Amino acid sequence: MTGELVKAVGRFSETTIDTETVVMDLDSGDFFSLTGTAAAVWQRIDGTRSREALLAELVIEYGQTPEEIAADVDAFLTQLFAAGLVADS
Amino acid sequence: MAAMARETRSHYGEVPRQLGGVPVEPGFRIIADGQFLLRCASGYGYHYVPGTGITIERPNHADPDEESLWLNGSVYAAVACLNGLYPVHASAVASGGQVYAFTGPPGAGKSTMITGLGLRGLAMFCDDTLLLDLSDPQAVIALPGHKRLKLTDHALALTGLAGEQPVGAGTGKSYVVPPAGDVREPLPLARLVFLEEGPSAQWRTIEGAERFVRLADDHYTQDIYHEAQRPDRAALFAQRARLAQQVGMARLVRPLSAAGFAASLDLAAQRLGLPIKENQL
Repeated sequence: MTGELVKAVGRFSETTIDTETVVMDLDSGDFFSLTGTAAAVWQRIDGTRSREALLAELVIEYGQTPEEIAADVDAFLTQLFAAGLVADS
Repeated sequence: MAAMARETRSHYGEVPRQLGGVPVEPGFRIIADGQFLLRCASGYGYHYVPGTGITIERPNHADPDEESLWLNGSVYAAVACLNGLYPVHASAVASGGQVYAFTGPPGAGKSTMITGLGLRGLAMFCDDTLLLDLSDPQAVIALPGHKRLKLTDHALALTGLAGEQPVGAGTGKSYVVPPAGDVREPLPLARLVFLEEGPSAQWRTIEGAERFVRLADDHYTQDIYHEAQRPDRAALFAQRARLAQQVGMARLVRPLSAAGFAASLDLAAQRLGLPIKENQL
């Protein structure tokens, strides 16, 4: 997880309903309902940010320390990597 | 509307024993080659061919009640789905040029709810199956129902109505005349309300991803839709996402007692902004 994070286009569908984002893994049919930090992470994965760059932005947005926010971010990224929805370049 | 009226024209005759090269035994159905074939265990058979309509094969000891139930249930749903309409397991009323639908599993009280609202002056739009026309990306258009209103004895007791005639075919239900009549024109779907049973009448607006999740529907008409349209996961996702974005949803919890029923009608009408008459229950 050292390079820029990129979504696996074609492996998922996503939509936003009110303020929540719903992402479906097209292979498994599993859903992710994203709010808060998870939604912020997902929106920022666009092939231009590494994990570190993403963390730095979220630290500013949420006013927390990197240590406080890293656990949530890493747990979510691990899920996305395991599902094959995100990779690093 | 016109297309469904044309496509559901029926006549009596023999139906094929196979479709698309697949034999269909009594008790089974198939959608193949854009056609629908149902062979009921009782001996009834239904075959739909686009542009031609429905052929009905009657058994020796035909039961007209059963014939009507199949025709208005699975057969009508198959014709609708093969013509691109989307079915929702719901009963609905119309008011102010919009449709307000109530959904839930069998026994949730969908028909009872719209009958109660009918007693307060709201016209029925459909009972049990709500068909949606999603061809306009900007609007979710509902088609008026084709089924007669049916109530259980419990629902008759709650509403104080008398059944017009038994539905028959072992359903234990009776046909009822909608108290405030019905609406016969397509209208936009304004709201979808999920009915649940609970100790007191409560209303909660459904927001965000829950609207998407709530649209999972295991009614038999959804199976028919999947067989007719064979949508892939991405297409199904897009369809559910669109409905979740364009249709407001709420949850109505209420006891199924007489007092709870009356309270739930008041609550639903108030929260949906529906003009109703004084309590006549």
